[in-house]
Amino acid sequence: MADFMQQVVAGLASGSIYAALALALVLIHRATGVINFAQGEMATFSTYIAWTLTTNHGWAYWPAFAVTLGVSFLGGAAIHQTIIRPNEKGSLLRVVIVTIGLLILFNGLVTWIWGGEVRAVQSPFPAGTTEIAGVAITTADIGTIAVVVGTVAALWALFQYTKLGLAMRAAAVNPAEARLVGVRVTWMLSLGWGLAAVLGAVAGMLAAPSVFLDPNLMAALLIYAFAAAVLGGIDSPVGAVVGGLTLGVGLNLIGTYVDFVGADLRLPVALLVILVVLLVKPTGIFGKAEVRRV
Amino acid sequence: MTRKLFLTLLALTVALALGTTAALAATSGSTGDPGVTSSTILLGGTAPLTGSQSGYAAVARGAKAYFDYVDSRGGVNGRRIDYTVLDDLSDPTQTAQLTKRLVEKDGVFAVFNTFGTDQNLAVRDYLNQKKVPQLFAASGATALGSDAAQYPYTIGLRPTFTAEAWVLGQYLARTQGAARVGVLYENSSAGQELLSGLRRGVLRSKVKLVSTQGYEVGATDVQAQVARLRVSGANVFAVLASPKQTAEALKYANRLGWKPKLTIGSSASSSATLVGSASEKGANRVVKGMVSIAYLKDPTDPRWTKDASMKLYRKVLARYAPGADPNDVYHVYGMAAAWTAVEAIRRAGSDLTRDRLVQIVGSLNLQGNPFLQPGISLRTGPGDHFPIDQMLLQRWQKNGWRSFGGLWAYRGG
Amino acid sequence: MTRARAFVPVLAFVVLAIVVAVVPAFVSAFRAQQFAYVAIYLIAIIGLNVLTGYTGQISLGHGAFMAIGGYTTAILMANHGVKDIWTIPLAGLVAGAAGFLFGIPALRLSGLYLALATFAIAVSMPAVIKRFEGFTGGGTGINLFGIPELTASLTPVSILGRELSFNDWLYYLCWSIALVGYVVAWLLLRGRAGRALRAVRDSETAAQSSGVSLPRYKTLAFGVSAAYAGVAGSLFAIATTYVNPDTFPVALSILLLVGVVVGGLGSLVGLIAGAIFIQFLPIWSQAVSKSPGAPSVVSGALLIALMFVLPMGVAGLVERLRLLTRRVYHRSSS
Repeated sequence: MADFMQQVVAGLASGSIYAALALALVLIHRATGVINFAQGEMATFSTYIAWTLTTNHGWAYWPAFAVTLGVSFLGGAAIHQTIIRPNEKGSLLRVVIVTIGLLILFNGLVTWIWGGEVRAVQSPFPAGTTEIAGVAITTADIGTIAVVVGTVAALWALFQYTKLGLAMRAAAVNPAEARLVGVRVTWMLSLGWGLAAVLGAVAGMLAAPSVFLDPNLMAALLIYAFAAAVLGGIDSPVGAVVGGLTLGVGLNLIGTYVDFVGADLRLPVALLVILVVLLVKPTGIFGKAEVRRV
Repeated sequence: MTRKLFLTLLALTVALALGTTAALAATSGSTGDPGVTSSTILLGGTAPLTGSQSGYAAVARGAKAYFDYVDSRGGVNGRRIDYTVLDDLSDPTQTAQLTKRLVEKDGVFAVFNTFGTDQNLAVRDYLNQKKVPQLFAASGATALGSDAAQYPYTIGLRPTFTAEAWVLGQYLARTQGAARVGVLYENSSAGQELLSGLRRGVLRSKVKLVSTQGYEVGATDVQAQVARLRVSGANVFAVLASPKQTAEALKYANRLGWKPKLTIGSSASSSATLVGSASEKGANRVVKGMVSIAYLKDPTDPRWTKDASMKLYRKVLARYAPGADPNDVYHVYGMAAAWTAVEAIRRAGSDLTRDRLVQIVGSLNLQGNPFLQPGISLRTGPGDHFPIDQMLLQRWQKNGWRSFGGLWAYRGG
Repeated sequence: MTRARAFVPVLAFVVLAIVVAVVPAFVSAFRAQQFAYVAIYLIAIIGLNVLTGYTGQISLGHGAFMAIGGYTTAILMANHGVKDIWTIPLAGLVAGAAGFLFGIPALRLSGLYLALATFAIAVSMPAVIKRFEGFTGGGTGINLFGIPELTASLTPVSILGRELSFNDWLYYLCWSIALVGYVVAWLLLRGRAGRALRAVRDSETAAQSSGVSLPRYKTLAFGVSAAYAGVAGSLFAIATTYVNPDTFPVALSILLLVGVVVGGLGSLVGLIAGAIFIQFLPIWSQAVSKSPGAPSVVSGALLIALMFVLPMGVAGLVERLRLLTRRVYHRSSS
């Protein structure tokens, strides 16, 4: 039992990081209608900014965290304005390829600027551990989950209770009508890209202290995030969070309890499970079916 | 005709000017093997310069720095060594394609120091059939050195994975009584061989491997595996992982409150920089007193602060690879490999051919590689293409490694 | 008129075939090998174009079908003594069958959900190959260099009285198959099937109501494109003389999609441009700068710039040039 709960706790901690990145993908999908393949690499770039501030310039973690979020937000919005928006006309595939270009570009930039060495990132949380019935819960796990939950709650409040949030939702759901009622649609979409970059940065900065920082920090995480977002329903923020946590716990339990699977096949098996879920419900758990006019 | 005369004269002058013993060098331009002229030797190899395994790029960087240093002092037998390193991103398919390019387009004399087990296996058949030396393959896979009869052109350098894990197992068997070992290993050919070597080392002793947890190359984290090891009842933590995953595992094991009485690590898991950062300034009890394998002089070992060759190491690295981390033992590895290549080429004399070089490295008996632990000799012979089979153990103390005890040698079985 | 319209592409094709035939005489053996890879990517892209260009379904998993083809060839050659060229059609069949079977459940998915489903097979394939070690050689892979089943690897092969080195032989093998593959795809797509597939892309509902059987054509498109990928994978294994689980990574699947879009979904010229692009992009970028990371920066920036300049890919550029020349021609004749 302790073994089981330990795996669940570890799964929730990694799952919350998948959730943050998955949520970033969902925000961009709502804004632009594509999967941003560069989301992970943008997050890695942000994490390196935080690392430089703390390690090379002696900043404390939280001020560096805040500044990195600010820079990421502006960077995300700027990328939308300068690179994505001009490519939005015409085929959707064009934007997809542009994001793949950004993926390659950012991955190279990180290595070019900071080198390929593995870097240690200081953890914002104290090193304590709480033990409940043989299950060790680290302060870092609790902190990670708390920061992700807090960020998601803040985002949800923004969308639900502010005028800005309403405008953003309108711009995403029905740009033409939103424009008619005076919403500056492209700025709202840029805002979506900015917020997505912030979420990615949060994911990167929370993951790096425990798994160390290198240029490929997020490459594999993006696959998990993509799977989590689709599992939850690509347009549903709640779905992204549920999908991320489910995937985190599910991966650990499959790897632990199904002997044939082990560590090497746990990702393929998890993907297979997701495919089965999609076959039953083709738009993900929380997704709504699209109705198309002919 | 006049051109050949001119070349001969030029080579003669160079040879005399450098005071090397050879008017012989003058005729060597015409030996016929690609990649050798009277003034240069072209070596090439691949390494993961970027990508998830780029920590190992130091192996190539260290070697290149050492060759540059040798070249600045006149080269070997009057020839400069040009060493081309191509980035294979740790993908064996890339290794295969890039190695073909090195041989067929760049015309290298020999492939040298290519990094990785699958990477070297991917090009072994090709190089042997083309009769191109595959010099000092940077991998400890037994398969690379034991098939010397079938693959005469392939030669390794470092101890095999089996040998180093066997030594760790023997150490446990002799000092830890009825220890219960929990193993974290990389699910790759390297990691699997390390695991089986450890098993062999503890054979017929009271030591038991109670849990073995694998992780995939490029895994996002190893937390699930460490959590399982903690509840498995193991009291010895064996880390047979790559540097990044090692650091993560050591840190996470401590955070979980696991208190194994001993942690052991393979040579890949002993990057002083990363183990150091996982040690949390000495607060991490999992790292304290960790034991691992040392056949190289570790730059963090206080024993070598006044050692002439390690002073040279730091000087060469600072000069020819500015910005590189001198505490990274993989740079030492690269220099040890380059030193051995230089020595072999020197012994091959001025009449340098591929077959001559292969003959030399196939029957080595070299002492005094300045970057290896004192007393380790480089020996090869028929059926044994692994030059190094001796090593020491080292223990983590405060913020660096310190080697202890006498030399261990792997004796089969 | 229709005859004249058919005449231009046929002429272009013949010119291309002649160019392809004489190129090896002017380039080094090593260069010929690089061009062989262009043909291999071309085959995969022609297949992906059938799916993405004609039915609008995005696949991020065609590298997995290449893997199936590549391993079929490698296993048949190394373990069963089958000569390399006979394994090529078999590789196409096996991969095509896999694609067809995958296409059945994929019918229920569309858009990004289908993209994830295909991506999932690309992500899973290396781990699955590694797991069935006894069959696939595990992480160490299967070597093909120097075995007797590999044509021309040790001694030159004699074809039509000419001695061909391994690289030249590879070049002709890959380009012959690519050109035949193009003609087959062209014949397939200009007829009834092509019309049906285009109808599916433009509007599934409309296509269905005009009597096009959706399941049949979508799975057919999946099967055909996977068969092309399988042939490409088979040739890739032969050209590299080696396969292992990393031979067909996720990045390859994404690269193929890049090739199709850069080419511009459609014309032969565009597809060749796409294939050249994915083969030479890393090589060109390395030529700009070799410092770690810099080649990727160049590649990424180039790809983005290309989408700015050629939103419809190379095919779009060709189309624009054609319209332009026609306008100039009309003006001068009137």
